[in-house]
Amino acid sequence: MRTLLVILTVAVIGLGAYSINLHSDKESLQRTVHAQYTEKLTDASEKLSYLQRAVSQSLLFKDEQAIHSELDSIWRLSSEVRSSISNIPIGQELSNEWLGYLGKLGEEARKTAKTGDYEAWREKMPQISTNLQSLSDEWTTATVDYYKQDGNMDVWLRQVDNKNPNTSFDNVKNTLKDYGEKDFPLTLSESDWQKKIELKALQDSVITEKEALEKVKYLFPLIKDATFTVTKSSDTAPYPFYHIQFHQGIRLGYVDLTEKGGHLLSYLVERPVGEAKLSQEQITKKAEEHLQRLGMKDVAFVESRENHLAWHVTFARVNPSDKALIYADGVQLKIAKDTGELLGANAMEYIQEETIKPQTAKPIDWKTFFDEDVQVEEVKNIYTDNGQFEQRLCYEVIAVRNGKTQETFRVVIDAENHNVLKVEYLT
Amino acid sequence: MRLLSILFCLMLAVSIVSIPHNDAVAFSDQQITRGAYGDDVIELQSRLQYLGFYTSKIDGKFGYNTYWALRNFQEKYGLPVDGIAGTKTKKALAGHSDYDEKWVKAQLKAGNQFTYYGGKPLDQQVKKNNTGGGGGATASGNNSGSSNKSGTDTQIPPKYTERELQLLANAVYGEARGEPYEGQVAVAAVILNRLESPEFPNTISGIIFQPLAFTAVADGQIWLEPNQRAKEAVIDAMNGWDPSENALYYFNPKTATSKWIWSRPQIKQIGEHIFCS
Repeated sequence: MRTLLVILTVAVIGLGAYSINLHSDKESLQRTVHAQYTEKLTDASEKLSYLQRAVSQSLLFKDEQAIHSELDSIWRLSSEVRSSISNIPIGQELSNEWLGYLGKLGEEARKTAKTGDYEAWREKMPQISTNLQSLSDEWTTATVDYYKQDGNMDVWLRQVDNKNPNTSFDNVKNTLKDYGEKDFPLTLSESDWQKKIELKALQDSVITEKEALEKVKYLFPLIKDATFTVTKSSDTAPYPFYHIQFHQGIRLGYVDLTEKGGHLLSYLVERPVGEAKLSQEQITKKAEEHLQRLGMKDVAFVESRENHLAWHVTFARVNPSDKALIYADGVQLKIAKDTGELLGANAMEYIQEETIKPQTAKPIDWKTFFDEDVQVEEVKNIYTDNGQFEQRLCYEVIAVRNGKTQETFRVVIDAENHNVLKVEYLT
Repeated sequence: MRLLSILFCLMLAVSIVSIPHNDAVAFSDQQITRGAYGDDVIELQSRLQYLGFYTSKIDGKFGYNTYWALRNFQEKYGLPVDGIAGTKTKKALAGHSDYDEKWVKAQLKAGNQFTYYGGKPLDQQVKKNNTGGGGGATASGNNSGSSNKSGTDTQIPPKYTERELQLLANAVYGEARGEPYEGQVAVAAVILNRLESPEFPNTISGIIFQPLAFTAVADGQIWLEPNQRAKEAVIDAMNGWDPSENALYYFNPKTATSKWIWSRPQIKQIGEHIFCS
């Protein structure tokens, strides 16, 4: 009996010690995480005030160099505050509002530095400076509690609890939403782009569920005997479409077709893929045959990539007037390596169909444009987005830099104003 | 005399067998060019490196580095310069180089850093992988150094990195491994859609590790080893597929507690997830 009591006492003491140790480990971990969050919060709050000052200071100067220095600071600080805010747990909605607002401010500064349109900046920024000040004050009020605790995570967790109807961040959230819409309204290009991705341009008549199924069977004859499950997109979807899931033997997949006109959005099938039997050339031919079936006859080959089950082959629409490739109107196919079967088609961009404005291409002397050890290997005319939702005629240059090793770059240059829009390192 | 003849025949047979198999038969009969991947490309890169034309990693991916090396070889050996490894080119290449397939593949499998230059003992061209990962200096002091442990063995669009592919596969597997394939591609697409949106961090890792953004990060399931299916789903999303139809969020209606997520405009449901904008 006595021995049992001793064993029991030792066990209880051991368990207690283990539990204390576990608790202290957890507490130490919580304190570390809490310290990191507090550091990010402090960083965000301080830099927010610097950002407000930089916006205000940018209105002081007429001198180009002085204003540029402030614009640089605004771009850098907005990016740093974004980074800090995205690393603290303040809830998805508030985080989105903050990142959106700061991102637009930084982008505005970058754009102004590039275009030199200081008048527009001076017109817009006094109000934004005032708004930033008020946001900064509200943020300070909302976060004051975080500094009162003794490394306790509970305050954080209460604030971000989804079930908590009121949090100290509500004011900041609402103000941000309000300022975001007023300070940075959608530009014409942004609004056009929004309409484009929401397929507002589709004017075809609505097709029925039965017609949608007929279309699927025509486009993809291999699955014509499959078992189909058709659902319509939710009422709140930006564009209505049919979501058609199918199952046929070893094949399982889906097709999405727009309700207006039954245009193919995407198709994807999963099935076991056997040993590769087709050559690269045969795969490209198969891809072209599939395109014909899908009715995409105005496209040209862009690139292909092999992986262990399939090839991904990309095509882009050819602009009829100058034969330049419109990359924004791309279509991607996934071809099985064993039989060349179409495993996937993505025509989301293709059906958005860009409107191309006429543009002129001014020639570039590559010898003066690139460094001496750079060799231009290929030049192609393409249309691509300039980052401001405009399709620009560009030179797509494959250039090789002959340094210690050969390095290949894809450089996209606006053909009219010769701005470099994109540089990609190719391996 | 008969014995001599037999001996002679035996010697001849042995000498024929011992001739290195360095003809075009070594390659498969497929014509390969940019975009290709696999054993033929490993052999092509090895042979080009053997002759000093190819100085990058031997990784089995026919990218621009392989393309220029092949063109330089074609130019030097009087072949049509097209960057395509067809029958003639492969025959010429096999005739002028040696390829120790077993050795090259053993190095790739072990994740060793190695090169395959001709005229240099192979044991001096390898740096054994002791850490289970690639990186670091190369054995030969050249700028190249192959190792298939430094990333995955897949080809993705150049705007993404292999590390991003790995991270996305972890996220997809942790978040949606029980979902249909379409649902897994959709989860990867949501993360990529966030990358394009100004309201989210501007890196894939920033998006995935944004506090409270993904359940798999909070409960540690993101650290489970993703399977090939999750990786395939990410590759499809990186190549443009988006079964979510431009969604920025998804949630499981059975487990979601946030009122806010229910207020988002819904697009469609795939498996257990509702996708919304």
